[in-house]
Amino acid sequence: VLVTVLKLIGGRLLAAVPILLVVSALLFGVLRVLPVDPAAMSLPPTATLADIEAKRREMGLDAPIYVQYLIWLKQAVQGELGRSIHYRRDAAALVRETLPATIELAVMAMAIATILGLCGGLLLFRLRGTPFEAVADLWSMLLLSIPEFLWGLILLFLFGVVLQLLPFTGRLSPGFARPNITGFLLLDTLLIRRPDMLYDAVKHMALPALALGLAFSPTIMRVLRSSLFDVYHEDYIEQARLRGISESRILLGHALKNAALPTLTLAGVQFGFLFGGTLLVEIIYSYPGLGNLMVDAVRNADLPIIQAVGLTYCVVVLLINTMVDSLYLVLNPKLRAR
Amino acid sequence: MKHVLAFELKRRALLQMLAASAAGAFARIEGACAADDAVTIGWPNDVPSWDPNQRFTPDAQPIFKAVFDQPLDQDAELKLVPHLIKRWDLAQDGLSMTVELRDDVLFHNGDKMTTEDFRYTFFERIKAGVKLDTANSWKKVQDIIVESPTRAIMKFTSPAPTAPQWMAFLGSYIVPKKYLEAVGLDAFQGKPVGTGPYRLAEYELNSRIILERNERYWGAKPKIARVTFQIIKDPSARVAAIQSGAVDCTINVPVREVARFEKEPALAAELNPITRVILLQVRNDLAFADQNVRLAAHHAIDKEALSKAFYGGAAAPLSVVATPGTPAYLADFQFKYDPELAKQYLAKSNFGPDNPVRIGFAATNGQFPSDYDIARAMVAMWKRVGIEADLEVIEYAKYFELNRGGKLPEATLYSWDNSTGDPEIFAGYLLNPKMPFSAWKGMDVGEKLLKLFDEANYEKRIAGYRELNRFAVEVGATIPLLQSVLTLVRKKNLAYTKYANGWILAQSMHWS
Repeated sequence: VLVTVLKLIGGRLLAAVPILLVVSALLFGVLRVLPVDPAAMSLPPTATLADIEAKRREMGLDAPIYVQYLIWLKQAVQGELGRSIHYRRDAAALVRETLPATIELAVMAMAIATILGLCGGLLLFRLRGTPFEAVADLWSMLLLSIPEFLWGLILLFLFGVVLQLLPFTGRLSPGFARPNITGFLLLDTLLIRRPDMLYDAVKHMALPALALGLAFSPTIMRVLRSSLFDVYHEDYIEQARLRGISESRILLGHALKNAALPTLTLAGVQFGFLFGGTLLVEIIYSYPGLGNLMVDAVRNADLPIIQAVGLTYCVVVLLINTMVDSLYLVLNPKLRAR
Repeated sequence: MKHVLAFELKRRALLQMLAASAAGAFARIEGACAADDAVTIGWPNDVPSWDPNQRFTPDAQPIFKAVFDQPLDQDAELKLVPHLIKRWDLAQDGLSMTVELRDDVLFHNGDKMTTEDFRYTFFERIKAGVKLDTANSWKKVQDIIVESPTRAIMKFTSPAPTAPQWMAFLGSYIVPKKYLEAVGLDAFQGKPVGTGPYRLAEYELNSRIILERNERYWGAKPKIARVTFQIIKDPSARVAAIQSGAVDCTINVPVREVARFEKEPALAAELNPITRVILLQVRNDLAFADQNVRLAAHHAIDKEALSKAFYGGAAAPLSVVATPGTPAYLADFQFKYDPELAKQYLAKSNFGPDNPVRIGFAATNGQFPSDYDIARAMVAMWKRVGIEADLEVIEYAKYFELNRGGKLPEATLYSWDNSTGDPEIFAGYLLNPKMPFSAWKGMDVGEKLLKLFDEANYEKRIAGYRELNRFAVEVGATIPLLQSVLTLVRKKNLAYTKYANGWILAQSMHWS
């Protein structure tokens, strides 16, 4: 299994190189043809037109786009993604600083989406053929039609403003000083053995993670139900019934195992979307992650940051896909045999 | 980006609707529960960098002013007052300025602040090529001669009549030479050291800033010991934060929310006029090459109606590019709203409601409160007199590129902030054809204005700008609209000093 997985990872890494090149070139090209002037944005209001022209030359913006791209690529290979126009800091460092928060949020949201998706999928399947099926179907459709930012606003209003049960800004309450060991706050609170701080951090993450989880769970629900329908047409289900195995054991012990594989693939794809979906939810909840950084970068025409964050999203999606495919290999012996 | 803006509109509208519908029944504002020595402020933007000389960001100034000190300060009415500089004397030719610093100021690390730090801030680090926005504002500095630890002379390459104003303006904060040279810029940004009334206790990018009182501060010590700036970029989230009591004070909430919060017994909601102008930046060519069309466009705008509709009547209509109370404001000059006169001007150029003149019109959506709504209302006002405007939405960042390429339409809705109130930083920048903001490239205004940049005599300079302000409006080189307002909501028992330029300073706050 290990060899197969390693082969797959190796293959994926090789394939990632041209993908990243294409994505970076596209990103670079699109950003450079946008009608914004990064030189003007990087100078103070007192700058004259002559100052701006000089800045354009200094930033290499007067060179052809392909030359600009090659210069950028050479630096990127050496780990330099440029300097933020707005923050005047290394773009890669800013990404490193904000990425852990987004990863933590996305993982927690994915866990919620998976739990809700699995439970909901099983419930939908169990309600098949009953009078409740149409109602459950309607609810799942309703859930499916509410995007993550709308969930963000509804939950914020309900649990933050009306009930005042959960905090909805930032990552920690004012009384806690943030530890900074790994950059992953939840992990850091564990490392310094502060369960009270961990609890506080989880409370702060609850609403944004739930908003994302709720938005991404209906697809998992519906795909699981559909997979279960397919699996239930297989002979071994009928044989299990003939052996007198209970319906619950058939569903949970036999059918779910096989129906979970397509659901897993979907969950992997969903995780990529969910990672991108953090962008707006982070703004609503003042959550200091990559999405928050990206929105600022767009507002300030901070091209190096947009480029760096765009590439980071691409790398994360490639990594997730590789991980899901590896997991798929581990769980599905048929694929290993091939 | 368009997608993001569309999304913002939808969710803003949604939250406001939800909030308004349940506010009366569910609001739980606990005004009196805050600790006496702590305050949490919901702030719309993070600081771009902890090097205060590095970026000119108006929203960051109140935070910088807590951690760092400026050589000069402004009082609540914007008058320049001594601060780190006790006395200053700008030479009559504007080519030098002698300053005398206080001798009792310590940086947060215990180092004494001297003229060496002053020289380092305004000359040495600029000459060393550090990427600083102050490099542009202080580029005229030829040298700073240090005569003693408290006395220095700034030498300029050309007259610098607004040097004192700039000492209290964007980015002009004294940084510690010894500490910065010892630790380097990156470490300084991680642990900034200033002379301000607060020191930075904790910072998380785009999340929160925690300040603790500087117990060795040379000036009046703040009454609040611990200040948390919670960075909340979304206006709807700021509304929710103040409503739930998660923050004690916040700014830049939607104008319509102010009326709602005014009814809350534990909250005070304010619409404060500030030194920010909303205006139309106009071109001197295309359909606006015709002065009749420009003046008609101006006379057709009912500014009172715009103020009532979008700023609760709190935004004063402007006839010049300056706000009331600032030196070059002309209280006795009114450019009247007169649609009939607008029609007469258009008729002189053979235009009218039946034969409208077509112009392009650009506006941002979300850059400042109600910007796009104001633009739409203006399109309707123009239509009535015979001006057909094609409204397009542009990003603020796009303005410079369009202007540089001569691609801005005839009129662009714009907002300009000037905490000093000095006319050079109003009309001087907005109408200067050599600067990136001015869509007006005509040298009729430009030549008059450029002379004022070298006028060292304060009275003559102000008189010149007053004349220029009037001239620019009379020839239609600019169309001032409104004085902008700052919305603020706070717990009623949180008092603060109201500055005419909109500064919200934590050091001026106290619980009553």
